Amino acid sequence: MTSVGRHQLERYGPPLLILFAIVAVWEVTVRLLEVPPWLLPAPSKIAQRFGRTQDLAYHTGLTLLEAGLGFAISAVLGVALSAGIANSRFLERGVLPYVIVSNAVPIIAIVPLLNIWLGFGITTKIVIAAIITFFPIVTNTTRGLKAADPRILDLMHSINATASQVFFKVQLPSALPFVFAGFRIAASLSLVGAVVGEFYGADRGLGYLVITAATQLRTDLLFVAIIVLATIGILAFWLFGLLERRAMHGQGETERER
Amino acid sequence: MTPERAVAGATAPCVSLRAVSVTFEARGRSVPALQDASLDVAEGEFVALLGPTGCGKSTLLRIVSDLQRPSSGTVQVRGASTAEARRRNDFGFVFQEAALLPWRTALANVRLPLEVVDYPADQREARCTQLLDDMGLSRFGHAYPSELSGGMKQRVSIARALSWNPSILLMDEPFSALDEITKNQLQDELLRIWQREKKTILFVTHNISEAVYLADRIVVMSAHPGRIRHVLEVALPRERGPEIRDTLAFIEQVRAARLALQDQTSH
Repeated sequence: MTSVGRHQLERYGPPLLILFAIVAVWEVTVRLLEVPPWLLPAPSKIAQRFGRTQDLAYHTGLTLLEAGLGFAISAVLGVALSAGIANSRFLERGVLPYVIVSNAVPIIAIVPLLNIWLGFGITTKIVIAAIITFFPIVTNTTRGLKAADPRILDLMHSINATASQVFFKVQLPSALPFVFAGFRIAASLSLVGAVVGEFYGADRGLGYLVITAATQLRTDLLFVAIIVLATIGILAFWLFGLLERRAMHGQGETERER
Repeated sequence: MTPERAVAGATAPCVSLRAVSVTFEARGRSVPALQDASLDVAEGEFVALLGPTGCGKSTLLRIVSDLQRPSSGTVQVRGASTAEARRRNDFGFVFQEAALLPWRTALANVRLPLEVVDYPADQREARCTQLLDDMGLSRFGHAYPSELSGGMKQRVSIARALSWNPSILLMDEPFSALDEITKNQLQDELLRIWQREKKTILFVTHNISEAVYLADRIVVMSAHPGRIRHVLEVALPRERGPEIRDTLAFIEQVRAARLALQDQTSH
């Protein structure tokens, strides 16, 4: 037990120490130099604002909902399209280039267009989150599906396996680490998508909070929104990293080192 | 000792190739992988395909198992087309370095073909357990491939190829990545299985003494383009054990096979 405790301390001790030092220096500097709070609020002020911000949970929940739904739609459509691309030369040549090119179009430029088409409600934010996450999900999943051992594919064909047997027994399981790697990237992007959507004419959500706080120079509130967004992003990244490692179970040699 | 000799003699062949050629299209150029190959393999025969890399040995296995169509020529399995034989699940594959699914246990890897071919669901588990027992892996059914040695993985892979009892085994350099001691053990086990189960085996190798030790006949191939150059009968008693490797007869056979291989390189 003590060795585990020491291990944890060695791993998490240094970054926590650095964080604590930065916050301490920040607090002291702001107080000594009397930096105005609209320029840089002290950490203690930000903490107070956390407690006093009403509806923070509401705004956070709404942004999470938009990002989550967009991500989920993109995951379902993206994995399905990848299955098609991995098994069809026509789709690979006909569709994959457009998926790749679509990634070059800046999402911010599309948002006003989506506002014209879909209005300023929650739908637009969901669609933006879905669009922005589509590329990493499709490219990673396709690469994973195509990484299946060709000898196993030969084996399956030599015993007349159906396309769905090949997909579910061989291609999809061997693609899982890639799929989760794509999900991990997509999770943080879906948050970006939802927030960017909320920048344009929304009246709720963390993106709305960011914009209003900035225009009113309520910098402490701005920090609150940023910290919440960062925390969600980190949690999502960590969660999908965990899933990715679990999907790797038995697939890598790292398994033995545990 | 010409390719034609391989075709004559045999009656009611299990696998029969007639003037088979395979050409790959690569960057606008056509590359011949196999040229004018004719061969008859008798029922229950153990045939080794011996040759350097690029001689079309693996291509020949893919042609026989209907994974690939020949550009010209005909292939038949027991008088029927290869597609028909594939539909009957006649072919069991064993590859170099086992090619197991890393997320499945040894038992679940052996079970994979049984989930695909028409095999009674309630008998799968018992069948796989019995096969692993027979391969000396009874204690490792629940181990993952990453926890098994190279030899053990290859045993699992052989058990997988035997699971639905196909009549023809296609083995693509199955032992070439193993150490000498493990390789010899597995060769003896393969002979034991072959004699007990009366399989027809096509065994690809680039190891001369392995071909001599295992096979009834050795098909010597050359590369660029892949061709059958010679077919050698292995003049050794069929009951073979490790001690036979030290006999003069064995050494003579290895020498004959080596000369046949060298003969082609001078062309």
